[in-house]
Amino acid sequence: MLASARTFALLGIEAREVQVEADVASGGLPSFSLVGLPDPAVRESRERVRSALVNSGFKFPMRRITANLAPANLRKAGPSFDLAIAAALLAASGQLPPERLSGIALAGELALDGSIRPVPGILAMAEAARELDTEAIAVPAPNAPEAALAGEPRVVPLVRLEQLALLGTEGEPLAPSGPIWSADGADPAAPDLADLRGQPYLRYALEVAAAGGHSVLIVGPPGAGKSLAARRLPSIMPPLSRSEAMEVLRIASVCGRSPGPDTPTRPFRAPHHTISTAGLVGGGSPPRPGEVTLSHRGVLFLDELGEFSREALEALRQPLEEGRVTIVRARHAIELPCRFMLVAASNPCPCGRGEESGECDCQPASTRRYRAKLSGALADRIDIAISVERPSAEDMGAAPTSDSASVRDRAIAARQRQERRLGAGRCNAEMNLVELRSSCGMDEKAAAMLANGHARLRLSGRGHDRVLRLSRTIADLEGCERVSGDHVARALTLRRRGPD
Amino acid sequence: MSDERARTWTLRRGEPGYPPALLDLGTDAPGRLFGCGNRTLVGGLELGHTVTIVGSRRPSSYGLRVAEDLGRLLAAAGLVVVSGMARGIDAAAHRGALAGAGVTLAVLGSGADVVYPASERRLYRDILSSGAVISEAPPGQRPEPGAFPKRNRIMAALGAITVVVEAAQPSGSLITARQALKLQREVGAVPGPVTSRVSEGTNDLIADGAAPIRGAQDVLDRLLGVGIEAIRRCGPPLEPELAGVAEAIELGSRTCDAVAAASGMVADGVAVALARLELLGYVQSDPAGCYSRTTLIPPES
Repeated sequence: MLASARTFALLGIEAREVQVEADVASGGLPSFSLVGLPDPAVRESRERVRSALVNSGFKFPMRRITANLAPANLRKAGPSFDLAIAAALLAASGQLPPERLSGIALAGELALDGSIRPVPGILAMAEAARELDTEAIAVPAPNAPEAALAGEPRVVPLVRLEQLALLGTEGEPLAPSGPIWSADGADPAAPDLADLRGQPYLRYALEVAAAGGHSVLIVGPPGAGKSLAARRLPSIMPPLSRSEAMEVLRIASVCGRSPGPDTPTRPFRAPHHTISTAGLVGGGSPPRPGEVTLSHRGVLFLDELGEFSREALEALRQPLEEGRVTIVRARHAIELPCRFMLVAASNPCPCGRGEESGECDCQPASTRRYRAKLSGALADRIDIAISVERPSAEDMGAAPTSDSASVRDRAIAARQRQERRLGAGRCNAEMNLVELRSSCGMDEKAAAMLANGHARLRLSGRGHDRVLRLSRTIADLEGCERVSGDHVARALTLRRRGPD
Repeated sequence: MSDERARTWTLRRGEPGYPPALLDLGTDAPGRLFGCGNRTLVGGLELGHTVTIVGSRRPSSYGLRVAEDLGRLLAAAGLVVVSGMARGIDAAAHRGALAGAGVTLAVLGSGADVVYPASERRLYRDILSSGAVISEAPPGQRPEPGAFPKRNRIMAALGAITVVVEAAQPSGSLITARQALKLQREVGAVPGPVTSRVSEGTNDLIADGAAPIRGAQDVLDRLLGVGIEAIRRCGPPLEPELAGVAEAIELGSRTCDAVAAASGMVADGVAVALARLELLGYVQSDPAGCYSRTTLIPPES
């Protein structure tokens, strides 16, 4: 007899429909073969399914069994096919009415005793099921709240394989409700900007960065608060919108971090500088998202920028420019989203003490090479550069000046102005040339100052545009329609200098 | 090479734009000079603000380092660094000057558009980006053995002081030093280990009375007066607030936060002030956003 069940295979962060067909044929020697490009973990599924069926009180048919995963040209990886294979097999062997499986999708890993284990990527699968107008999706119980985020279809949380028999009946396990997120999206546990003592200009630079989505380079000796500051950047960025939050959760889910009930916050990723290119931008076979995708809608922090390999930094170019990364492998090409803010930190020289401190023992040539690396690879994508020094003893003892919430309110207001101008979800850092020209209305003083900067500071074309973008954000922060001379002056001080 | 030849210019003795320092050579002054790059630099050379750095083509690492440091610090102080673009000390001095964001002038033995040695093509290009290359030989002229001692007299005449960094005995650099003496220009030499062959010439020069050069300040002391660290020019007048920020930078504050702490101003205001000071030329910033004072001084009020 023939039966089929619907499940999904993950490709990047997308779920593709896979139909599991099971045929229990009479005649021939008993066997169980699995076809349709399964990788080793999927092939081992046969053993798990056999034991799980027997240990759940079902019969394993001693016939010639063929299970096919269609489409056959898509490589299947991972253990999430177990549940669908078991269901198709039960239907094909007459232990489950086949019509119960119509209109339902299943995903989950089986344990030998028949219990069901959670799998990654359930949110993406639930969303794909919604697109296919599937009535219900049966998932491992721990993954159920995650599947419920998709809104539709109905979620059936399964704890044990026996519960398959309850599908579509009165006794079907109840669908959980989706988590309720707090309205303002603030994470009370996130580190607060109030921890940063003194350093008002560093705060200001972060505020401008958060308001306009500008990437930042922070240069300073160890102990100057570079990573302390970077870690607090997500707390002053506007909260995730519903659709942004779903993107973030879907990526987390595919990477095996099942979202909890908490309100999703902007991701903060700080990979170590020994990271490989594939680890940073994604890769491997099957391709997995890299750090750039994990920091989608959040902050990617590269501490010790000068220590990252040249290849890794070069590979960041396309992601930074386009907000997505394309990974091409022999069998398929996948596209992953990666709209993140880059925060890079660096010491002033290889030893970290800084030439001017008098304690630096670096050769001028090696310092020059080190700095060349900073202004090389990514420089043209970074809008803001700021030098910091260790805070003084008075600063450390000073009372905190402002906390994240107040700065965040200003950033939100500035973003709203930008969205009115540029469209939903967009910010000043992404402005193209046309938008830049049309949106930066300057008064006379501002124009004169910019022209003067062009001549005196030898601003390149890109340098000029960078100052325009930054002054626009600074004006937005102050609620001004037109860019004034002071806005341009602040932008000139904040801008990243050097070659483009 | 043709594109460089197209951009060569000629300076004739007696015409405006011809460096006056060369007239000290009397009848020996070159009748025509050919050059590439910044023409006004050559015409505007002020004797007293130039230093000629020469030395061995096969220096020790000590010599290379000293030459590069001298070039960098002297150029940063506002001097024009003159040298011969030869391998070794000459090239290091040019490189240092470029690293100090200064201007440098190369005097070649071949035509000004002929890169010799060819391995210094990149340096040649860098020099041309802000400075100039000149030669007495007509454009396209290949290097010939006799041309170099003749070229040395031009270097000696252009520099208010000629500093020999490393030289064996005998050496072309010592010829330059001798010609500088003949022109009553100052001669300095960098002392070296008595066991080093490439320091024989310079140690001999010191023994004969040349000024020992232990660092850039020794040169500046001789040219500008004891203790003066840079050539200072007058800038436009400053408002009191800007003057305060400029002073804080001069006293060692390098970031907005540091200036704000030192001056008591709000960081925001400091950012505006720094941008205006940079546009006026009073401060400069490095790629990381660290500020330092330039050599410009505010006018006396």
